[in-house]
Amino acid sequence: MTTANHLEPYIQLSGISKAYAIGGETVPIFSSLDLKIPSGDFVAIMGPSGSGKSTLLNMLAGIDRPDAGCLRIGSSRLDQMGEAARASWRAHCMGIVFQFYNLLPMLTVAENVELPLLLKSLSARDRRGRVEKVLELVGLADRARQYPVSMSGGQQQRVGIARAIVADPALLLCDEPTGDLDRKSADEVLAMLRMLNREFGKTIVMVTHDPQAALHANRTLHLDKGAFIEERRAA
Amino acid sequence: MTLFDLARKNAWRKPLRTALLMLCVSVAFLIYGLTASFVSGSQGTSAASDDILGVMSAAGRAQPLPMAHMNRIAADPDVAAINYTSRMRGFVAVEKNVVAVSALDPQRLMAVSGKELGLTPELIDALAAQRDRVLVGRALAEAQGWRVGQSVTVTGFDMARRGGSRDWSFGIAGIFEGENASTDTYFMIADYDYLNAARARNRDTVDAFVVRPQASASAGDLAARIDKMFANSAAPTRTQSEKQFLEAFLRQYADVGLIVDLVVSAAFVTLLMIVINTMVFAVRERTFEIGVLKTLGFSGAQVMGLILAETLFIVVVGGGVGLGLAKLAVSFSDPALGLVFSMPVLARAVVIIVILGLATGALPAIKALRTPVIAAFRQR
Ligand SMILES: Nc1ncnc2c1ncn2[C@@H]1O[C@H](COP(=O)(O)OP(=O)(O)OP(=O)(O)O)[C@@H](O)[C@H]1O
Ligand SMILES: [Mg+2]
Repeated sequence: MTTANHLEPYIQLSGISKAYAIGGETVPIFSSLDLKIPSGDFVAIMGPSGSGKSTLLNMLAGIDRPDAGCLRIGSSRLDQMGEAARASWRAHCMGIVFQFYNLLPMLTVAENVELPLLLKSLSARDRRGRVEKVLELVGLADRARQYPVSMSGGQQQRVGIARAIVADPALLLCDEPTGDLDRKSADEVLAMLRMLNREFGKTIVMVTHDPQAALHANRTLHLDKGAFIEERRAA
Repeated sequence: MTLFDLARKNAWRKPLRTALLMLCVSVAFLIYGLTASFVSGSQGTSAASDDILGVMSAAGRAQPLPMAHMNRIAADPDVAAINYTSRMRGFVAVEKNVVAVSALDPQRLMAVSGKELGLTPELIDALAAQRDRVLVGRALAEAQGWRVGQSVTVTGFDMARRGGSRDWSFGIAGIFEGENASTDTYFMIADYDYLNAARARNRDTVDAFVVRPQASASAGDLAARIDKMFANSAAPTRTQSEKQFLEAFLRQYADVGLIVDLVVSAAFVTLLMIVINTMVFAVRERTFEIGVLKTLGFSGAQVMGLILAETLFIVVVGGGVGLGLAKLAVSFSDPALGLVFSMPVLARAVVIIVILGLATGALPAIKALRTPVIAAFRQR
């Protein structure tokens, strides 16, 4: 099922090392991590707590930088880019879904979804059009004027997904997107991610603790002790 | 939604806090508006001329001087032009509606005070056309709602007519604008001859001579020479520039300018600290959200801009309300207070608003800029 192009991986990490100074001691998280993810793939990343899943996702999001190694996404060398360039890259090339949704409480659903579009040069009309389209896609068109507090976790996470895809990025990063949801809401959210992967060709990297959630991905990578073990399945 | 809408919505998240901040700002600008109007108004000395000299009785400004002094003063080669005046204080309609009338010689008016009062030959002609005509200053005319052609009756506090009446009727011949917005125009100019011929007492005396020195002359030296000339006469004089006179007059009470500056500065420094403190708190509360915005791709500069826009919004709304209230208070204030909410007052207020907004926003904005983006993924 994967349309993987193994010659030109979309995401390529090679020789990545990252360590944190904890109490005067440097604790290595990765020492020489390699990873290739082709365009259009849907990868689940699992692993014990503290194994560095969020750290990896932060690096893929251009939030954190590796201490050494090459980190390339598309044609961008994130390891070599400065703070401002990475901010701009995030605005245009990547969408992110958080475990706790992280919607802004004083904004309506539509306004929350519109946020990333404020960073693009689009007319107010174009922005409204796009917001309507993605809210339609996540099934919340009739909730546009509500505030997030009035919604269930599953609905809020769908708003989070709408916000992540509204600027039409090629890459979606999700850190435990179903970690805070009941089974039914989680399945809806996962079905939505799979649809975005299959029908819209989004490359998705999803960190999860939930083996059932991982089943929705094309493949699962287990991160442990600074290295990946791949679990392959027939799609 | 725009980035500014976002800043505005951020400001209104804690409506009470924001409203109180705006209230603080508006009170500070109300204080500023009123005090600045006071300084720029007729009580102020900033617009008073340093060029024109007033020659009054050394015995007190209510004491008359003989008309005979004029020729001796005019004989000094440093005197370019001279006029004589009697001032009448009185009221119109109700006793607390105080007005001042300067009775002068219309023919001499232009050369002495034309520039400072913004007079034109047409205005002078209109004044001279009939004896009971007056020219009314713009500030006075607006405060009273008077128009050209209308007639007004001033009841003099001291100056009575022969026969006992204290009512003086005048026809308004024109309105003079003053040299600029801060010129004192809260008075009217009448014809000396009309008042002099009709008044019961002090006929053929003047309250003061108004002297314009030659451009090349030293006004201070001339003033000293004039006072020396009459030092041993029956009516010694005291000669001061208009500015010196007003300053000395006001200093009887206090150094108004200094007090105004102190009050206004204290208000603004307090305000600055309140707003900075509150906004730093607001930013700290939102550390996590700012991290989220940065994760979504907002740059440090954009996040800074959001916080700056938020403080500017609070200061502009608060300042606007305060200035509006000041303007309102000035227009309803007793005209005798001489408050003038002039363009320079407004322009300075706008500059202060912008500087204050940026100054109070700077520290919180830098805090927001420094908020690490990584915080978004960590703790919750
Ligand atoms: N900013 C930081 N400073 C110091 N140590 C950090 C920092 N971020 C992460 N760490 C440490 O790095 C290790 C990996 O953290 P990370 O959050 O990536 O783990 P994780 O796999 O996402 O865990 P979990 O499943 O609990 O979310 C942990 O030991 C953590 O304490
Ligand atoms: Mg994690």
